[in-house]
Amino acid sequence: MSTTSASGTQPTTPGPGTSTPPARTRAMSAYSALSQAGYKAYTRDRTTLFFTFAFPLLFLVVFGLIFHGMTVEESGRPYINYIAPGVLSWGVANAAVFGVGFVIMQWRRDDILRLIRMTPTPLPTILGSRYVLALAIGTVQAAMFILVAMLPFFGLEPAGSWPLALPVLFLGITAFLAVGVIVGSFARTPEAVAAVANCLMVPMAFLSGSFFPLDAMPGWMQNVSLVLPLRYFNDGISAAITGDGGGGDILVACGGITAFAVVFGAIALKTFRWSDQS
Amino acid sequence: MTPTPTGTDGPAVVLDTIHKRYGEKRAVDGISLTVPRGEFFGLLGPNGAGKTTLVEIMEGLRRPDSGSVTVLGRHPWPRDPELLPRLGVQTQASAFFVRLTAREHLETVAALYRADRAAAERGLAAVGLTEQRDVRVDDLSGGQRQRLAIASALVHDPELIFLDEPTAALDPQARRALWQVLRALKGAGRTIVYTTHHLDEAEALCDRVAIVIDGRIVALDSPGKLVAASSSVTRLLVPAERLSLGDAQAIPGVLRATEDGDSIVLETEDSGPVLSAVDALAGLHGVQTRTASLEDVYLELTGSPRS
Repeated sequence: MSTTSASGTQPTTPGPGTSTPPARTRAMSAYSALSQAGYKAYTRDRTTLFFTFAFPLLFLVVFGLIFHGMTVEESGRPYINYIAPGVLSWGVANAAVFGVGFVIMQWRRDDILRLIRMTPTPLPTILGSRYVLALAIGTVQAAMFILVAMLPFFGLEPAGSWPLALPVLFLGITAFLAVGVIVGSFARTPEAVAAVANCLMVPMAFLSGSFFPLDAMPGWMQNVSLVLPLRYFNDGISAAITGDGGGGDILVACGGITAFAVVFGAIALKTFRWSDQS
Repeated sequence: MTPTPTGTDGPAVVLDTIHKRYGEKRAVDGISLTVPRGEFFGLLGPNGAGKTTLVEIMEGLRRPDSGSVTVLGRHPWPRDPELLPRLGVQTQASAFFVRLTAREHLETVAALYRADRAAAERGLAAVGLTEQRDVRVDDLSGGQRQRLAIASALVHDPELIFLDEPTAALDPQARRALWQVLRALKGAGRTIVYTTHHLDEAEALCDRVAIVIDGRIVALDSPGKLVAASSSVTRLLVPAERLSLGDAQAIPGVLRATEDGDSIVLETEDSGPVLSAVDALAGLHGVQTRTASLEDVYLELTGSPRS
């Protein structure tokens, strides 16, 4: 490309094409600007902050009160060992689905996607910044949640294998982000995003043992849970944090989540739309 | 001022027999068009005439079914990251990053275009939003949002600017202020392609206009030439209480006289002698002369009744 027109007037920006800073710096600036914009929009949104950070804790408190000091008959393990990882993975998954679902729907409805489409910033930069933001939010969520669950009242004692929860966490967020993209591509209004996401996530939470231990559930429900991504997310987080089951369980869980992430990711790419118009 | 010739000479936009249909509807039905560099080009036409589709094809947002598109010497489809920074696009709905301030939004857009942060400040100043820079985009008024959307299209100093009804939601002052911005852009050698429903504005700003109806260009020229070609009829409006319809019709040179509200409207091809006659009959106080405007041409072509 050669140099461009418009010599006269403005001593402003160098015309496009005349300036060629190293590609790396340029991409970084678009990336960091998007991350900042996303971060600011996120922290200024009290509703989302509540549902991301406080809501799962609320569930922890409620279930903690109900099952305080009890153990699950079938396994002899304390309830908190089921409920804490279960509610944690549900909370993280929920935030991922809602967060990206709303953003995709809003960006498309408000023509932000078209604005981005008309800039030279490549799509991976945009997806990357949203992805890293989502991973960061999920990590903060998990850390807060675990710290609260460790309070003497709840009595969770993380096992030495807890760092293995991180890969499970990242994979789980990835899978549910893809779900969020699909939801955000189909839904045209915030109400629709909330309705569809709730329809998916609430039954899945119950069927996957996020709120009640699967070990205490009938056999058919345990079987149904095997086709739900949240089941593997729960299992992986649970195995890493409580130390029950060991590395094999975590590996199986990671495999399950990865499979779901690949399938959902492919569907997300297929269903993604730049615009609401035909 | 003429556009500066550069290494990328040649027209800003060349469309060659573009067709685009949605189902049975022919949104664009064989349009060919060349917009030279530095031109201020207006696209006029009723809603649904195909203007937006045409602009989106130039922007590379849509792919024509057939025909070729060349924009600044390149093909806008598929997405061409080399071309995109040279285009400025204002979207019809105001597209803003939620919960950011005007300045934060513009800085984000600037970064997406890899322009520097100072560009955001200049953009705000150019559209008169410096005072609102720290206001959240959600809290801006309709006109302010419109101006911010325009600033978003200009922030990276593009060569070719597409504006979609940029003055639609603006009050008269803001509209005139924006005219200044647009004229300054043209003065700086930028090419502007824009759609509008304000025919007075198109007449005041555009070097050339195309009137699009049902996906075809029905007229394409400078506003002045279009007006001159369309009609030589001048209309005189005389307060009704001072001139009877019968007297008016009797004046030599009057083609037609009608009563319209509180005026008698005289149509003539030679206004001089008719004016003298009116002066003698009723005096010239309060008499208005209307020559044809772009609006008349437009209404004639689009087949709408005159208001």
